[in-house]
Amino acid sequence: MSQHSKKARRFLADAKRAAWHDETLWMVRCKRDRAAEAVDDWENLRGQASDIKEKALENIPQYIRQFKEAARQNGAIVMEASNHVMLQGYVATILRSNGALRVVKSKSMLTEECGLNEYLIEQGFTIIDTDLGECIMQLRREPPSHIVLPAIHLRKEEIGETFHKHLGTEAGASDPTYLAQAARKYLREQFLSAQAAITGVNFAVAETGTIVVCTNEGNADMGVHAAPIQIHCMSIEKIIPAMADLGVFTRLLARSATGQAVTAYTSHYRTPKPDGKMYIIIVDNGRSERLYHPTGRSTLKCIRCGACMNTCPVYRRSGGHSYGQVIPGPIGSAIAPFRDFRTAAGLPFACSLCESCSNICPVRINLHEQLYYWRQEMNSYRSTPILRKLIMKTAALVLAKPLYYRLAGSLGRFFLRYFPFMLKLPLRAWTRGRKLPRPERQTFRQWYARNASKHTS
Amino acid sequence: MSKTILVNNFIKNVRTAGAEVLFSPGEAAVSTDRWPGLLDFSKADLRLQYQTLENSEQWTDIAHALFCSRLGVAENGAVWLEDADMPHRILPFITRHLILRLATDSLVADMHEAYAKLGQDNFGFGVFISGPSKTADIEQSLVYGAHGAKELTVLLCD
Ligand code: SF4
Repeated sequence: MSQHSKKARRFLADAKRAAWHDETLWMVRCKRDRAAEAVDDWENLRGQASDIKEKALENIPQYIRQFKEAARQNGAIVMEASNHVMLQGYVATILRSNGALRVVKSKSMLTEECGLNEYLIEQGFTIIDTDLGECIMQLRREPPSHIVLPAIHLRKEEIGETFHKHLGTEAGASDPTYLAQAARKYLREQFLSAQAAITGVNFAVAETGTIVVCTNEGNADMGVHAAPIQIHCMSIEKIIPAMADLGVFTRLLARSATGQAVTAYTSHYRTPKPDGKMYIIIVDNGRSERLYHPTGRSTLKCIRCGACMNTCPVYRRSGGHSYGQVIPGPIGSAIAPFRDFRTAAGLPFACSLCESCSNICPVRINLHEQLYYWRQEMNSYRSTPILRKLIMKTAALVLAKPLYYRLAGSLGRFFLRYFPFMLKLPLRAWTRGRKLPRPERQTFRQWYARNASKHTS
Repeated sequence: MSKTILVNNFIKNVRTAGAEVLFSPGEAAVSTDRWPGLLDFSKADLRLQYQTLENSEQWTDIAHALFCSRLGVAENGAVWLEDADMPHRILPFITRHLILRLATDSLVADMHEAYAKLGQDNFGFGVFISGPSKTADIEQSLVYGAHGAKELTVLLCD
């Protein structure tokens, strides 16, 4: 059994929570549908977004160069980190050289991927995640389980307990408004005492050197504008050519993510504040490699909306933590093999190939095809269990010969009717969550032979 | 798109985003009776006083702050603010109640038109704001005022 299945089973052990998780994400997915349907040229927009990203990736060195020049002209300090160690080092150096010890941070999957928090804490800095969901996860010392909704796997009672322990809210209190207000108060103190603010980046515009960050809470802005030092950490694929392209992406992002027409705040940072310093760190961390891989390149189009997670029947029923990756869900499974082929082994199989992810993705990444591709790659490394291989071989044989097929059919129906437990034994993992059907008395062939004459006119 | 449709769409979407819309017959509607302690940053002399963040109390106690905008987006109720509209970048975020004044002539249909209108303008910082600050991070229950403004009013004038 794969790591994913094992962890999924643990998640499913709490049946009520699992059902809530499934229903809630489906609700988010339905909101997305309504938002998408309200836009006339939605499919056209997806096509444009995909084209812009392809073009940006095709010419990425040129756009990065243009971006760096523009950003420097704007007064920003631009650095390039080829891997996570360099990013950690740069950030620590910037903080030290500016005498900044207290740091607030808004959401950034990149810094999560690069282990920035852990490193900075080890180095003696205080670093506070300010997105409410991420703040909850940081207090609990757990990783986020979703890229847009970091605490979606938790019930409000659990969050209430966490806040009671760390923020001194009343014991047993779990009202979301009460808890959110407590967090607002705690985080305001952090914002106003921070000496530096770190943000992730949604889009970086080559033409103007502008950094764009989208949030609903306003936490990126509270941090950036209150602290004298602002540090924006972006991976290379956040580059888009021009300001006009933002028209396409801002229309797609929030609608795909939460079903809102746009995030509450779409912030454009171009120049540092008066007397402030603005740093931009452009991080590669394995992306150049993906750029020249047959499936890897298109994973770099991702705008991190989370829609593929909300729609995925496996994600909804197994929870983000079951993937064991910084980014879970379909896109996470498509990226994981690049990060560590071995630990990613089960992930492309945690997929029903229903294609829902590819159909919903605002930048049209062919996610299901990628997962299918990785299954084959992984099989060639013999990571498929022998039993599954054997079943597939037998199936190929049976399906190829009508005689075998008919024989297998009647055998199957016979056992299913009279000795169902015999089928259950070898299929234990499969039947745990499913019922075996009652077989029909006649086969389709028999039915057809009897009825064909009646229905032809 | 006719102007009436544009204005109606805008109003609908501002409300969906959790903000209220008031029609302002000029300056008269904006009063300190309605909003005690209102800071009207459309006034140049007030802008001068709030340029630096010195004593944080002065900032955290701001209840009502008003800014003038030159661009609103009908499809999502977003209103644009940039450096020129505010003496300090944190103000629209730190105030408890944010009031944005906008002329109906400043409305565009969608984000494509919005960015076209911004064109090559060299703003140092600019933001589209759609509704008050919000979070649904606790069990997907919507709560206003996660960090930024808890309430938002858009004042539409002709
Ligand atoms: S792969 Fe597509 S759907 Fe999934 S998070 Fe990225 S952009 Fe969104």
